[in-house]
Amino acid sequence: MRKSLRVYLPFASNELKRQLAYKGAFYLFILVNMFGAFINYYLWMAIYGSSDQAILGGLTRNEMIVYVFMSYVTSSVVSISIASTVSDDVVKGTVAMNLIKPIDYRLSLISQAVGNMIYRFLVPAVFIWTGVEIYKARALGLPIVSIWNILLYLLSCIMSFLIYVLFDFCFGMIAFFTTYIFGMQMIKNALLGFLTGQLIPISFFPEVMQRVFDFLPFSSMVYTPVMIYLGKYSGEKLGFMLCRQAVWIILLYGAGSLIWKKVTKKLVVLGG
Amino acid sequence: MIKVDHISKDFISPKKYPGLRGAVKGLFSSEKVVKTAVDDISFTIDTGEIVGYIGSNGAGKSTTIKMMTGILTPTRGECLVAGIDPSRHRKENAQNIGVVFGQRTQLWWDLPLSESFTILKEIYNVSDENYAERMEFLNRVLELPDFFDRPVRTLSLGQRMRADLGAALLHNPKVLYLDEPTIGLDLVVKDNIRKAIREINEKYQTTVILTTHDIGDIEELCSRIIIIDEGKKIYDGSLNDLKDKYGTKRKVSMEIKQPEKIKKLSLTEILGVKKEECDVEFDKEKNMLCVTFDKHKIQVPQVLTAVMDAVEVKDVQIQETELAEIVKEIYNHGVTA
Repeated sequence: MRKSLRVYLPFASNELKRQLAYKGAFYLFILVNMFGAFINYYLWMAIYGSSDQAILGGLTRNEMIVYVFMSYVTSSVVSISIASTVSDDVVKGTVAMNLIKPIDYRLSLISQAVGNMIYRFLVPAVFIWTGVEIYKARALGLPIVSIWNILLYLLSCIMSFLIYVLFDFCFGMIAFFTTYIFGMQMIKNALLGFLTGQLIPISFFPEVMQRVFDFLPFSSMVYTPVMIYLGKYSGEKLGFMLCRQAVWIILLYGAGSLIWKKVTKKLVVLGG
Repeated sequence: MIKVDHISKDFISPKKYPGLRGAVKGLFSSEKVVKTAVDDISFTIDTGEIVGYIGSNGAGKSTTIKMMTGILTPTRGECLVAGIDPSRHRKENAQNIGVVFGQRTQLWWDLPLSESFTILKEIYNVSDENYAERMEFLNRVLELPDFFDRPVRTLSLGQRMRADLGAALLHNPKVLYLDEPTIGLDLVVKDNIRKAIREINEKYQTTVILTTHDIGDIEELCSRIIIIDEGKKIYDGSLNDLKDKYGTKRKVSMEIKQPEKIKKLSLTEILGVKKEECDVEFDKEKNMLCVTFDKHKIQVPQVLTAVMDAVEVKDVQIQETELAEIVKEIYNHGVTA
């Protein structure tokens, strides 16, 4: 364990350094992130303003404000695309350079994603998060979130991150068969926007759809941690939600290993 | 050290049809084309050997290397590197090997070179003492300190290649695969890289397998060469044997004082050989007489005396067939026994 930590940690810290090396992208990223969150915010405010009900989809207007920003915080931290790295590696043939080293390809990708996650957590996420809390206390007059909820939220976030990257690894394996997956990435991102609850809280969907979503890993990626943050789950339900996340990690890990084994058997390295 | 046993690799790709109609047809057909990139190749390589693995473009060199490094799984056959099957135990095998693909880099593109080395140290689990000793050696042979703190993307090709070679050697691999290590390098850098490879081989008894299109690499480094063509092995033996067997042509060029006398001279008659066994050319402007012949049929002194008896000779040059010529010949016609 300690040895593998020593081997894979540099991947994470290097990714962090790499991200910091591109300063322009760094500031643009914050700006773009904020922009998206505010569009969503005004959209929801308009919806609440024109509705005669105070609670929509189980959320009050104030809770919705928190939901909008926290789902942005969560998804920007959690959804780190491994698939694009895999596709890049396949197209350029650099996957060969990874395979000649005595390391696990998936673990090295995940470690890189961890570096990226930490970067995104430190840069836009923490600032927006603090902003949300200040706004909540000052303007909305709501109590600040409890330490206990923060800890649960962070735990859930880490599991969300793992679910996302493990899923994305499986998705990225498509690149080995089709070489190029840019188009499919676009479809994936659009679908994930809905399925994860990033754009619309899952509770807004019809009952039947919600039942279907229960059997998919996507709602565990964004919706679950944000609902935990809002304090919507407690007791048994909370335990169940966390367990469900853990089960998805195990299932996706197994699936990834299986697919990887199949892929390496028929791997074709491009170029040279 | 390395045992390759009847190894083959097939690549399967969907059949393509020409033209726009073909493109549409391709959407509906499921016909597959099988291309055998490596076809039933076997060889063994001992510890400490430097083997040149050569062949024309697309002959299957890189594919073989990729199978020996564990990146590709052979379709048929088996190979063992230091007792390990690379495709089944990729990670264990990776610990034993170092690889340089001339057209790619294994270094971290955006980071200073020093960072790449630190990561590699951890990945290969190199102890601090070994690392220090290695670095001292690599710094001396490859002159890394000049650019050790610069990001890899800012290095020149020659520097990057030296860095890559250093990176491949950091963990003291038993086997070093070099896939075109001198591609695109200038003469001085080429020379340095060759020197480094030789020194590494001598000091650590590293087995080196080298694919290259540069004849100089082969002549300076390899004691043994394997030639493959269209996936099949067509030659395996020492460099000298190859030269002996196929480089039998000699060319003697002589600058002559009395060009008018040369017309009367009939070398084939004097030497008692057939016309096609001895090719005589005369360049009137330079007064050069060139005689090309098979060294097993005619001896060089015979030619010299025959000519010198007839005319006065100012200057003589004797040329062997160059390795490049031999290799070109083999690529073109295959080996005729």
